[in-house]
Amino acid sequence: MSESEEAHVTVDVTGPAGDSTGDGSGSGTGNGYEPPVVTLPAARADDPHLQGSARHPRRVEAIIGLFFLVGIAGVCAFGGAFVVGAGTQVYAATLFVGLFCLGFGLTAWGKYLMPQGPFVEDRHSMASSATERQAMAAALVERTGIVVKRRRVLGGLLVTGLGVFGVVAAFPLIRSLGPQPRSRLFTTNWKKGSLLVDQDGKPVHRTDMQVGGLLTVFPKGKQSTTTAQAVDQAVLLRVQSTKLVTMKGRGDWAPDGFVAYSKVCTHLGCPVGLYEQELELLVCPCHQSMFNVRDGAFPIFGPAPRPLPQLPIYFDSTGFLRARKGFNQPIGPGFWERSTIGDGKAPST
Amino acid sequence: MAMTGDRPRTRREARQALGPYGRVQQAVNELDDRVGLAKGGRILLDKIFPDHWSFMLGEVALYSFIVLVATGIFLTLYYVPSASPVVYHGPYKPLDGTQMSGAFASTVNLSFSVRTGLIMRQIHHWGADVFVGSIVVHMARIFFTGAFRKPRELNWTIGIILLILAIFNGFIGYSLPDDLISGTGIRIAYSILLSIPFVGSYLAFFLFGGPYPGGIILERFYIIHVLILPLVIIGLIGAHLGLLVRQKHTQFPGRGRTEHNVVGSPLFPQFAAKTTGFMLMVTGVLGVLGGFAQINPIWQFGPYQPPKISYAVQPDWYMGWLDGALRIMPSWQWSGWGHTIPWEVFLPSVIFPGVIFNICLAWPMIERRFTKDYVIHNLLDRPRDRPKRTAAGAAMIALLFTVFGASATDVLANYFHLSLNQVLWFFRIAVILVPIIAGLVTWKICVEMQRVPGAVKRKRAMVVSRTAEGEYVAVPADERPGDQHHELEAEPVPVRIELEPETVGVGGATTATAESGVRRVTR
Amino acid sequence: MIRRVTRSRYALPAALMLAVGLGSVLSLASGAQAAPKQTTPTGSYSTQTTNVAGTGHHVVLTAGGTHFVNTKPRVTPHAPACTQDAQRIGYKSPKDSGSPQNSTPTFRKCVNGKVVQYGSPAITYSLPPSSYIAAGHKLFEENCSSCHLSTAQGSAAAPSLHGVGPATVDFWITTGRMPAATPLQIQAEQKPARLTDKQAEEVAAWINSLTPAAPYIPDVHTKGADLTKGATLFALNCAACHTITGAGDALAFGTYSPTLRLATPTQAAEAIRTGPGNMPRFTGNLSDAEVRDVVAYVTEKVQHPENPGGFGLGGVGPVAEGFVALLFGVGGLMLVSFWIGDRSS
Repeated sequence: MSESEEAHVTVDVTGPAGDSTGDGSGSGTGNGYEPPVVTLPAARADDPHLQGSARHPRRVEAIIGLFFLVGIAGVCAFGGAFVVGAGTQVYAATLFVGLFCLGFGLTAWGKYLMPQGPFVEDRHSMASSATERQAMAAALVERTGIVVKRRRVLGGLLVTGLGVFGVVAAFPLIRSLGPQPRSRLFTTNWKKGSLLVDQDGKPVHRTDMQVGGLLTVFPKGKQSTTTAQAVDQAVLLRVQSTKLVTMKGRGDWAPDGFVAYSKVCTHLGCPVGLYEQELELLVCPCHQSMFNVRDGAFPIFGPAPRPLPQLPIYFDSTGFLRARKGFNQPIGPGFWERSTIGDGKAPST
Repeated sequence: MAMTGDRPRTRREARQALGPYGRVQQAVNELDDRVGLAKGGRILLDKIFPDHWSFMLGEVALYSFIVLVATGIFLTLYYVPSASPVVYHGPYKPLDGTQMSGAFASTVNLSFSVRTGLIMRQIHHWGADVFVGSIVVHMARIFFTGAFRKPRELNWTIGIILLILAIFNGFIGYSLPDDLISGTGIRIAYSILLSIPFVGSYLAFFLFGGPYPGGIILERFYIIHVLILPLVIIGLIGAHLGLLVRQKHTQFPGRGRTEHNVVGSPLFPQFAAKTTGFMLMVTGVLGVLGGFAQINPIWQFGPYQPPKISYAVQPDWYMGWLDGALRIMPSWQWSGWGHTIPWEVFLPSVIFPGVIFNICLAWPMIERRFTKDYVIHNLLDRPRDRPKRTAAGAAMIALLFTVFGASATDVLANYFHLSLNQVLWFFRIAVILVPIIAGLVTWKICVEMQRVPGAVKRKRAMVVSRTAEGEYVAVPADERPGDQHHELEAEPVPVRIELEPETVGVGGATTATAESGVRRVTR
Repeated sequence: MIRRVTRSRYALPAALMLAVGLGSVLSLASGAQAAPKQTTPTGSYSTQTTNVAGTGHHVVLTAGGTHFVNTKPRVTPHAPACTQDAQRIGYKSPKDSGSPQNSTPTFRKCVNGKVVQYGSPAITYSLPPSSYIAAGHKLFEENCSSCHLSTAQGSAAAPSLHGVGPATVDFWITTGRMPAATPLQIQAEQKPARLTDKQAEEVAAWINSLTPAAPYIPDVHTKGADLTKGATLFALNCAACHTITGAGDALAFGTYSPTLRLATPTQAAEAIRTGPGNMPRFTGNLSDAEVRDVVAYVTEKVQHPENPGGFGLGGVGPVAEGFVALLFGVGGLMLVSFWIGDRSS
């Protein structure tokens, strides 16, 4: 800008002719207020609106210059830091000092040293004239009318063709994305006689756990793939068998206080790995649904509506734990195809 | 405009023919011959930007988006969207020899073995947090000042869509490293899809390529995150800014400001200097956050495996309100005829955000229904002058922040040594009460403030002193800076600097524009 | 002019922002990252296992610390009395998982037919010497008997301590949870220990003399631990309650998982093996070596996390991160834009 060479130290704030503050205050903030129009031959160099707002431009200039110098040093240091691989904090400090100082200096330049205005711009209506609007509408209506009225069949055929393509195109776009659910949401790899193993594939023996114990188990052979883990994971607990409330039909599902539930939360599928052994609660770490493990893992608090599916287990002849059958319900969160048969009712204790 | 007349013979002649602006003039001429940019370009350079600070909020969003794109390009060079297992070997010892997905391994590698990789990753993450945050603050400013009113409804709509896309893309980006916490987030996203009645299981299977974990989700998320959504966002930002230029800025009322003008600083050079400097500062702030505040230390979390879980898992803050809604939702489900509707998931995670965003999208229409106001507005409202709108906005913010707070029930309970269950119940009640109270209080404050004349001014303090005789005298304190509210009151009357009648000359060499650089734009 | 501007309108919001931000970040971080100051009863865990030539016996030498090295014990690992005692005090468990019943016999030591030490190369479980019993009784009378009663059989306010094993007693006392500040509170709070480590062992010795039981006080030899395995086991078994960064968090009905940043190796192993309070008890499914791996991961990586990215923000994840992003990121940039948009006329 050209004003920087002007050696104004102070700015005469009384303003040029026409800048009358009394005039403005009288009319208030009303919308119809029109500022006085001043016709200037060319922008006058001493017009206060064309001065920066700084009272001491020299001083401000020096400060900005200093910021720029620090900024340059900062970005140089950033480059140097990269070359020597100085570490994340050094990168951050140099980057910050460099960019922030440069940015601050540039903004201050614009704010204090450039003409301050305020400048005003007229706002013109974007709207076209009524005739133009009507012409547009007429063009749309009448030209469409030509097509539709005279070539109805052709139009129909075209629309049909495009419509059919739209539907057909959806097949490769959507249908090929993945398989249909079918029964996949209802099945797991647990079956009759599945040996319970831990994540390393080690079978679980009845002496492995004391009361208060907790272990994540999988059916043997399926413990190492993510896909199987996601559906098969079960949490094996040992509670005091005297405290265990045996639900109807589940009499032999939890021998000697060993009880196994699906580890997939019935709310949103997080692994329910949080076990409080004194409260005998399984808590979902995601949304804090609480399941009472003593009687069928029915939810007692939180958003989960259904109990954790139970895995019936027994000791084989060598004392290792095996599943009698799969889970008593489909595992995991709710979905439309799921029937709630088998949920049972929460015991009223 | 075509150059006419004799071709210049010497270089000197050629230069003189260009007029006083030399090569710049030549460049302008060449471009103008081809795309006709001189007139529109000059108008653009003169575009007036209001000076009020709240007009900078959208720029924070814009500049953090630019930083996001820049750092994101860097990250794509190292990140591998692969779920197939690899064994990590590298400088972070607790993971050395661990089997993990290729995605996680590449992210750990990026953090530990690529020079500036970690700071880039962290700037990207902080950038996302700040991006969405500044969008929300910007949106709040637009809302409370009524800037969404006719003719700007379309731009408001675009803004809301940008917010939604930013949140989606943030969540997807958060999921890409496939660490323990984000893996849990993907699991939850799958379950949310699954909860949609009729089509849920199909949607979930199609997006994930099969039952969870599907095996292909990271590849799909990746292409959505780096290509599809950014393209849409860039396009919409272009439309957002294009409409802004076309419709011009709104402005606060004040002396000399009318519905028919814009008062402020022109784009070039004042605003350009300020805003470019601001962009550098935004980058600097994100840089300092990226290097000094650790975000998402995935190496501490370890790779995701379905049976593993950490307590206190929360999504990034802009998803927190959905997480909170899921937490405080009672365990309602509907079942019958062999089917289930899991309201406990569907309601808070699909219906609730759907309703919130639809209210936002439809707000200009909703408001018009009550106000019957079909007039074009370019001057902004003061929030207190529209108590009902302000109250509605405050209630909405209170609702969202209460639900957001509910996503940290466990952290709050732990920090204040309260029972988790009680904290949850507190939020279940608060989510209903707090918005109502906030709305009513806001409405009352607005109404009261309207009645106080000159409430914009800060009262001068009175200093009460005791004289030697034991008499008390009150003396007004010295005036302090900020006693006047400059935004609304102390604006000097702007002066139009009328140009001499436009003189059309080749190259514009003889017009007054040459010297002033500031002008009233006449069209 | 710059000074005037600074003084006027940015100072207050900026100061507020800084104060709120720093205050809360610090308070979050300080609670979580207080340096572990407690000394371990075993002093150091640089214990070596040497094969004593000729005998085929492994003799465990405890280096430093107050740990009860029974001088000149009659080492009778295979004596029938010893095995019988091991059967009596131990619990059924696979080999090397905290119970003397199936611990590696070469690591079992008996004195006068009573097991005083057992374990594996990873962990040594030791009984405080019998000379501690008298002092322990006195301490128990002074500090514990008002709730647990003088015979330690428990009351309505406190459980029976018969047969809990020295590790349990040592854990509760050295972590400062016992003596409890308020009996009947939902969960005893961790606080600076009132009794010294030696006094804790004395009390453990007396309680154990009433009904001897395993596990004894573990001494974890973290040297040679597999941190990778430890990290995996931690994520699978521990992070669900203690969080993956070990910060701890609130659990159901007023209970909470404590932070792991204060735990000594011995306390960590005691907690794993005994399952204090609501914590699950890990016995047979975690071998001594696996417990050692987890303990090493906790004391080395959870307590001293690698934070190459800057301040750890308390390790509570996106809650603190969102706070910082909104307050310092958005808030700070709002301040800047406040300055930019301000007309200093």
